[in-house]
Amino acid sequence: MKQFSILMQKEWRENIRNYKIYWVPAIFILLGITEPVVNFFLPQILQSSGGLPEGAVFEFPTPPPEQILAAVMEQFQTIGMAVLILAYMGTVAGERKSGTATLLYVRPLSFPAYFLSKWVVASAISLVSVWVGFLAGYYYTLLFFDRVEGMELFQMVGTYSIWVLLIVSIIVAASAAMPNGGLAAAVAFAIYLILQLTDGLFGAAWSISPVKLPQYAAAWLADSPDSGSLTGAIGIAALIILALLVFGSWISWKNKAKTKV
Amino acid sequence: MSILEVEKLTKRYGQESAVEDLSFVLEKETATALIGPNGAGKTTSLSMLADLLSPSSGKITVAEGLTIGFLPQYPQFFPWLTALEFTEMAAKLSGIESKKARLQASRTLGFVGLESAMNKKTGTFSGGMKQRLGLAQAIVHQPKLLLLDEPISALDPTGRREIMDLLKALQRDTTILYSTHILNDAEEMTDQLLFMKDGRLIEQGSLNNVKKRHASPHIRIRFANPNQAAEFAGRLTWERELKGAVVFLPVYKNGPSMQQVLEVLSSEKQDILGVDYQTASLEEIFLKVVAAK
Amino acid sequence: MDQTTLVLALLPILIIQFALMIFALVDLIKNPNPNGPKWMWGILIVVINIIGPILYFVVGRRNY
Repeated sequence: MKQFSILMQKEWRENIRNYKIYWVPAIFILLGITEPVVNFFLPQILQSSGGLPEGAVFEFPTPPPEQILAAVMEQFQTIGMAVLILAYMGTVAGERKSGTATLLYVRPLSFPAYFLSKWVVASAISLVSVWVGFLAGYYYTLLFFDRVEGMELFQMVGTYSIWVLLIVSIIVAASAAMPNGGLAAAVAFAIYLILQLTDGLFGAAWSISPVKLPQYAAAWLADSPDSGSLTGAIGIAALIILALLVFGSWISWKNKAKTKV
Repeated sequence: MSILEVEKLTKRYGQESAVEDLSFVLEKETATALIGPNGAGKTTSLSMLADLLSPSSGKITVAEGLTIGFLPQYPQFFPWLTALEFTEMAAKLSGIESKKARLQASRTLGFVGLESAMNKKTGTFSGGMKQRLGLAQAIVHQPKLLLLDEPISALDPTGRREIMDLLKALQRDTTILYSTHILNDAEEMTDQLLFMKDGRLIEQGSLNNVKKRHASPHIRIRFANPNQAAEFAGRLTWERELKGAVVFLPVYKNGPSMQQVLEVLSSEKQDILGVDYQTASLEEIFLKVVAAK
Repeated sequence: MDQTTLVLALLPILIIQFALMIFALVDLIKNPNPNGPKWMWGILIVVINIIGPILYFVVGRRNY
């Protein structure tokens, strides 16, 4: 516990001093803003771009605000996840490769505390980024379109946060397992794609698959997801996260010999 | 009293063996120099002692409660931490109480000569400063055993002198095991020598014992010309060797003492230019031992 | 779109852009060894809204 707080302080300092606590949320805010702004200006852009017959009148249906927030989540699912992978692929692997980890590993280091400190800080920054990103999306949707129920937004963001935690766990564990950041990113990407693909192809009946969490999150906006499926998916996600934390601590310890001396 | 015993320590990578059958003992508060050419297995051995690498076979036995400080050959620091922040963290991770850690860290940085650079980010440090900081993080928790991998090789002569003096100060109450290929320094601070080559220990012992075994020291008497030298050598009963105008008398193997030689010389009528004691340097001994194996 | 909506829409973006730009410029000035010429990063940070500073943090600054 004592080592955990010492290492947490180190991780915070790193993330503050390399400006990650600013630029990661900034990208998510940007993603959150883009969707409502583009939707708002789309009719004007299309009309002014010409190519339409003179005098033709086009009716653009105003999209419901819920649809815009769901589209924001789509952005997070692609660009957002890539940003998180890039931001944290080197969190363990980079320290070993540069040799900065050596002076930690030669001490009586608790590897669970070491891994957990990295996971907690990466998770905190990722979650806050996603939250402010949704908040920005919500704000612009409210400004240009209409209100989304606060409760619905809250439930959606909460459900999506579990998914974000799962992804961050995969990234940090991959970083602990792989010899460098690039390979960690490749592995994390591969796992992410395989998860999406298998669930897309065969997962129709797997209602408690955690890969469906983003889907269930979006469902809060329309109606509400099936509570049994949601609980099951969250439970399984929590178990996988727990397993990844144990695996990550173990593989960090196992790989300590690979630090550059 | 021994604080660390190494028995038949071996590290293999596949078929290649980096360290083979290494055995030695570190006595409390002594300095041991681990000497060998590049690739001899010095770093691998130290990494195993520091518990970074696990041995393929063999045993390391340490005294109970032994605390270790380790300085790698090229220590790397988190560039976004200041020297004080890093050293304080190192102290805390080694078990120093949080309240005392900062004071202990700043004292240690003062000791290694980084007082004025304490609050600078380590990313801006020069090689020499990094080496000093490396030493600071290794000693901040006052470990009983210090493992130093080439602690002075990367330094300029002044820095080398300063670090050597720091190490000698530390040596009074710390056991030190350090690797080096600069043999002058080893001669200066060593109770035990370990020569390594190709992963194996090829010679070990105290500086005196190793010298006795390999250095064949002798007394050298220089004359004005070869004739005088030859004439003098002819009158001697001791074992001797004549080389031009110089007579060599081996000291070991029933050789004469310096006093006996001086007595003989005091009544000598020949022109004697000088008498001195000659012994091989550690470097010569090392080259000899390496060549022999 | 009325005046108020426009101000409310632009204000957060301006604040974020301004904050990122200041952070990036201050860091660039202090940076002894950026990844690429300083003047180039200076221009990128100032000219390209939001993306410029982020690019600098991710690619340009290196750890120092």
